[in-house]
Amino acid sequence: MPESSSLDVVMFSPSAEALGVDRDLVVADLGYRNGEAPDMVWELVDDLLPQLPAHVEIRCGFRILPSGSIDVGDDSFTANGMQFSTGPIIASQLKRSTSLALFVSTVGLQMERWSAQLMAEGDMMKGFLVDALASEVVERASVWLEQRVVDHIAPRGWKITNRYSPGYCDWAVSEQQKLFSLLPHQFCGITLTASSLMVPIKSLSGIIGLGPDVKRGAFQCSICDLKDCYRRRDDPGPAKEKA
Amino acid sequence: MNELLESLTRCVERGKVNSKSPYPPDLKGQDGADEFARKAIDAGIPPQEILSNGLIIGMQRVGERFRNKEIFVPDVLMAAKAMAAAMGHLKPFFQSDILKHKGTIVIGTVLGDLHDIGKKLVSMVIEGAGWEVVDLGTDVSPEKFLKAVDEHPGCVVGLSALLTTTMVNMESTVKHVKAKHPNVKVIIGGAPVTEEFALKIGADGYSSDPQGAVEFLNSRCTPN
Ligand code: B12
Repeated sequence: MPESSSLDVVMFSPSAEALGVDRDLVVADLGYRNGEAPDMVWELVDDLLPQLPAHVEIRCGFRILPSGSIDVGDDSFTANGMQFSTGPIIASQLKRSTSLALFVSTVGLQMERWSAQLMAEGDMMKGFLVDALASEVVERASVWLEQRVVDHIAPRGWKITNRYSPGYCDWAVSEQQKLFSLLPHQFCGITLTASSLMVPIKSLSGIIGLGPDVKRGAFQCSICDLKDCYRRRDDPGPAKEKA
Repeated sequence: MNELLESLTRCVERGKVNSKSPYPPDLKGQDGADEFARKAIDAGIPPQEILSNGLIIGMQRVGERFRNKEIFVPDVLMAAKAMAAAMGHLKPFFQSDILKHKGTIVIGTVLGDLHDIGKKLVSMVIEGAGWEVVDLGTDVSPEKFLKAVDEHPGCVVGLSALLTTTMVNMESTVKHVKAKHPNVKVIIGGAPVTEEFALKIGADGYSSDPQGAVEFLNSRCTPN
């Protein structure tokens, strides 16, 4: 059961199974197209997937800001009197939002320790695949969390925009400092370093616009400016959107 | 070219480690880089030739195919494993100075950043090109880079960062190292890094991929 508080903050610890980690997506994110990865890669991924539950400590959660507490401009928004310079791309997607969900998700420290340990033992391949799995799990956790936001605000008649994270589309990574200042201390066990790096590494932070008149926009890659990203997708296919 | 050397090249390129390795499936049961290196030495092929005309060529092809997105990280890791198996046989020649590295690169992820894998990958491909790599790990301070440069005279420096917020620490590192060693060459890389940024902070090179780092080292950082 989620933990709640008067701040309209909710936290979850879903299991790896609940997130539905998809082997096809893990392998596709390594760069292979049409499933054309070496058998060995498939075998190792299939071998590692069932070991996930023993290593992940998935935690994710959000805070819903009070209705009417945000003001969206052309290239920024203001929440709780704090200005966030998202740049025009994200600001335009947030237009019509009357509130925001601030979210984080993490797979925990255990996964990076596992990966590092495998590499230290000389098994670079497994260590690398564990790292890739961890990236996939944290993205799945964020997708899963999005649905929890939808459920949470549905009774208010609100809908959601896409997720947006500091560090994407002209929104500086350092603005995570402001974002975290609006969340409970060490929310979901995540700390932010002076250089705005989240620890554990396999963590994501961001916002989702909320309101009666918002809608989910185009697929994420199409608005991102990292044009030669090796994970760029033209078409996500059904239910396979990536952050 | 010598058949043994060609086999070595192919084994590195395909990531065939040794005869016991089931990967790649079409070479199952056949000798790998491990056996061919031994055979090449036993056949009296000079170690320098084994390295330059066998192994390094294989790894170069791997670096190029990775750059062209024909192969991906797992393939590079298998190639590096095959390379390492062969290098095990060449180790004594390095120790007795019959074989020499092309040079040394001191590499690390800059202060404030904990990302490790991209830098490790670059290190493997550089090693496969005949360079010695001194990996300082992650969250490396400018002082630590400087100390390593002091300890490895004539080395090149490689810096990695994955976030724009930690990328700025590349500048202080370049300044700190170059203040004492103005002739040390620095190459930088990582997802948010650009050529333009490299120029701005006074680095000597930038590459978005491991093979670019090798090309920089071979063309700009060797005496001849
Ligand atoms: C997977 C991924 C994640 C995963 C895992 C992160 C990890 N690395 O462990 C997760 C989902 C957790 C994640 C989170 C975040 N991410 Co992220 N992520 C990526 C992604 C898609 C791939 C990174 C990766 O693993 N690449 C594979 C490795 C092997 O490649 P690499 O490290 O880049 O190294 C290669 C090259 O860069 C180069 N290289 C590396 N070092 C060196 C050194 C030298 C000398 C040379 C020559 C070359 C070189 O060679 C390597 C091999 O080819 C990139 C986008 C991209 N296409 O790169 C974004 C990216 C790195 N993320 C980004 C951001 C913003 C974030 C977040 C801040 C978002 C957020 N607010 O939550 C967080 C930060 C997490 C934290 N702990 O603080 C931005 C960073 C840019 C910026 N603005 O600072 C990127 C570039 C995406 C973008 N579109 O802008 N992320």
